Amino acid sequence: MTIENVLLVSAALFALGAYGVVSRSSLITVIMSLELMFNGVVIAAVAFSRFTPSAALLSNDPITAEAIRSALTGHAFAIFIISVAAGEAALAFALVFAMFRARESIEITDASAMKH
Amino acid sequence: MMEVSTLTNVAFWGASAMTLGFALIVVTQRDVFRAAIALAGSFLGVGILYFVLSAEFVGVVQILVYVGAISVLMAFAVMFIQDVTLGSRPVQGRLVGAAVAALILAAVAFTAVNTDWATMDDITDPVAIAALTEGYVEIGTGDDATVAITAPEGTTQLVVENGGVLVDSTGALGVLLIREYVLAFEIIGLLLVATLIGGLLLMRNPGPGSEAAAEEKADADAEAAGSEASV
Repeated sequence: MTIENVLLVSAALFALGAYGVVSRSSLITVIMSLELMFNGVVIAAVAFSRFTPSAALLSNDPITAEAIRSALTGHAFAIFIISVAAGEAALAFALVFAMFRARESIEITDASAMKH
Repeated sequence: MMEVSTLTNVAFWGASAMTLGFALIVVTQRDVFRAAIALAGSFLGVGILYFVLSAEFVGVVQILVYVGAISVLMAFAVMFIQDVTLGSRPVQGRLVGAAVAALILAAVAFTAVNTDWATMDDITDPVAIAALTEGYVEIGTGDDATVAITAPEGTTQLVVENGGVLVDSTGALGVLLIREYVLAFEIIGLLLVATLIGGLLLMRNPGPGSEAAAEEKADADAEAAGSEASV
């Protein structure tokens, strides 16, 4: 397990999600794929936190508790991304329901009212 | 400092295989409900990955929020919407999508392999190394069982114990969130409230007694009255 391995897994998950977003016809599956992409990004953030040192830890200044905590910046990013993704998922489903109510369908191709 | 045990490697590759395998099912499965179940499996795999990467708190949050809440939300959505019997068919132009996805993967893989990443071994400060590999507590939360390292004057005193990357990362993360990132933390709270209100607004059912229904009725009445008057 090196940072390269973890970044590869992260990129693979992101790419799978990206493929899912453009390749499926149901809005629900598209949102699921979006969540996969979010997860890929969070894995990268946590991996950087685990394997690479922050600037504060590399500097020659005396080490403070704040500098030690900066090793967890990736974790803080992960928490924030997960919060945003959770809110996004809830709102996205509300939109899917609204579309289903208006058009009796959740097919991507039926959501093209503004296309032409 | 950065030696990774065989067991950790096995756990990492196992969790990775689980994550990517279930993710592949999610993006290829026609049955939306099966895709939702596979998605829960993929989220669980990612949660295990966080534990392997010494991010216990993020792992717990992942399992609570994703495996616990978002998966259930997906299952509810699938069950509420009748149309899913149709399934999720592949759409036209997915080959282009696959090509773009492969391109993203290739670009990131190339960057990951060809970049000379700084490693934890680059840290030279003995206090930092001790605090990261063996844990630390700040002055004031004294624990007699731990060994104290006296940091230079004017800085926080650090105490060491045990192995791993930043022992008690949960406690340190909590402090990080309410000190360095407190503004972002507050904004996230605001965002979640806005999401809640937005979700309620979108989901609101315009029943027979609602304003929208009353307006429609008034419009219809006015039209009827107009047509009568013209006759």
